[in-house]
Amino acid sequence: MLLDVLQGAEAGGFILIQDTVKCTGRGILKCFINAALKRGEDVHVLGFEASETEVCAGLDRSCVQKLHFHKGFPDPLGWMCRSSFTVDQLTSQHITKLIKDSQHVKAPVLVIDSLSLVLRHHDPVVISQRLQELRKGGDVKTIISLLHSDLHLQGVVGIVSHLASTVISVAPANNEHHAVATTTRRTKSGKVMQEEEYFSVSEDVTLSVQAKLRPPGHVQKEQKVAEADPASNLTFNLRLSEEERKAKEKVALPFVFSKEKKSALLRPTPGSGRIMYEPDANDDFDEEDPDDDLDV
Amino acid sequence: MHHSSFIIICLSIYVGVSLAQAREKGQLVFLEGLKDSIGAILQEESSQGTQHLSYLRSPGAGLKGLFRFVETSVSQNGARDDGESWGPPVLLIDDLSVLLSLGVTVGAILDFTLYCQATVCTELQGNMVILVRCEEEDVDDDEEGANLLQRGLVHQCNLALHVEGLPTGYCRDIHGQMQVWWRQSGETMYNPRKIFHFKVHDKGASFFARGTSSAVL
Repeated sequence: MLLDVLQGAEAGGFILIQDTVKCTGRGILKCFINAALKRGEDVHVLGFEASETEVCAGLDRSCVQKLHFHKGFPDPLGWMCRSSFTVDQLTSQHITKLIKDSQHVKAPVLVIDSLSLVLRHHDPVVISQRLQELRKGGDVKTIISLLHSDLHLQGVVGIVSHLASTVISVAPANNEHHAVATTTRRTKSGKVMQEEEYFSVSEDVTLSVQAKLRPPGHVQKEQKVAEADPASNLTFNLRLSEEERKAKEKVALPFVFSKEKKSALLRPTPGSGRIMYEPDANDDFDEEDPDDDLDV
Repeated sequence: MHHSSFIIICLSIYVGVSLAQAREKGQLVFLEGLKDSIGAILQEESSQGTQHLSYLRSPGAGLKGLFRFVETSVSQNGARDDGESWGPPVLLIDDLSVLLSLGVTVGAILDFTLYCQATVCTELQGNMVILVRCEEEDVDDDEEGANLLQRGLVHQCNLALHVEGLPTGYCRDIHGQMQVWWRQSGETMYNPRKIFHFKVHDKGASFFARGTSSAVL
């Protein structure tokens, strides 16, 4: 499913790549950028956390003129007043102006690296609203963003994930050469599909995926462990002889009744005491037997 | 020997060179946070001289002043005695957790380290070494605090060294273990981790693979 998402990128989609300290998601983010460039799409990257050199390393040289890198890094907050794009400018007006200034043919792909820095400085609800405006506005074809899920509260990650049409979470695998991607895709009809796959990113920023299988080095044989007899090798006797077993089975348990004994007990015997009951004005007398539903 | 210009904030590691001499030559810039902080807190208004410690009076304001100090210090291209300029800078910070206990938010500290990284590492091709103290793994509080700061720094860094005592307790010949965690950006997404044991000496430390301490071989 991961490759479908990589090649597909349907219009109006919001793809969220979640990573943690254990496994970085920037590799997959670069694969998405490379795939969009190879398809001939314009790609606008809002780089807040990593330099242009780092993000563009390994990308396809022939399509590099379709890549517009907006330098947030090294001054994403405007402290040095020499940034071309700060975290405050992630609004639909600014983005629309950016795109119009770049003279494009069709709606480009917008890449945000990363949303974590933006969420550190702005209310997640406000950012979600702005992202939604961008999606619906039509100026941007797809939004792809990186989020460090272990740097935010669960609720914040949840808000942003809910907005996304596809969420890709990366985690390390036992194998050092691959990682595991869990892709959750929500279609327009509301159907949710999920798949886990092994993947790796090559030096020329190409994604290769293997379906989730048992890794060959770790095949575990299910051995039937012979059950040990717990009553052997003890200093006391836990076993029953034949006579003892028969006597045990004959014992009548106190509250397990046979059918005859049950009806005999429930039938009123002649001569037994009768209960005469005269209800008071305050009493709520119900003719029904309250024990009727008991299965005794 | 390669000469680099040093900037050290609250140095507490004895590196075996004459720091006083280095400071005189302009090779070492030393911000004595502990000493200067008293002055910064007791002053009526923050003057030019204590801008870099402005977070002590208003921790909510962030570490922009401190970053300006770092930026000015690394950008000074002082000349050595023989006329050549110093090499790429190295920024050592000891230790960031102190800022947390002073009321600075994790977000502000991460912004500060991001800017330092941008200036020192990316622009000036220098290096940065930061010390931060962590709490036990199973502390529930992951909203603010040392663990969140540690995670944020690990996301930003190229190499993380996790130093802790031996899980088996005190040992005379092995003082602790260190996990070396390479975080490579871009193509490789797996982060190989290696564990070493170490022993601290008078002027330095020795590192060896687990089980190969000279005491047991």
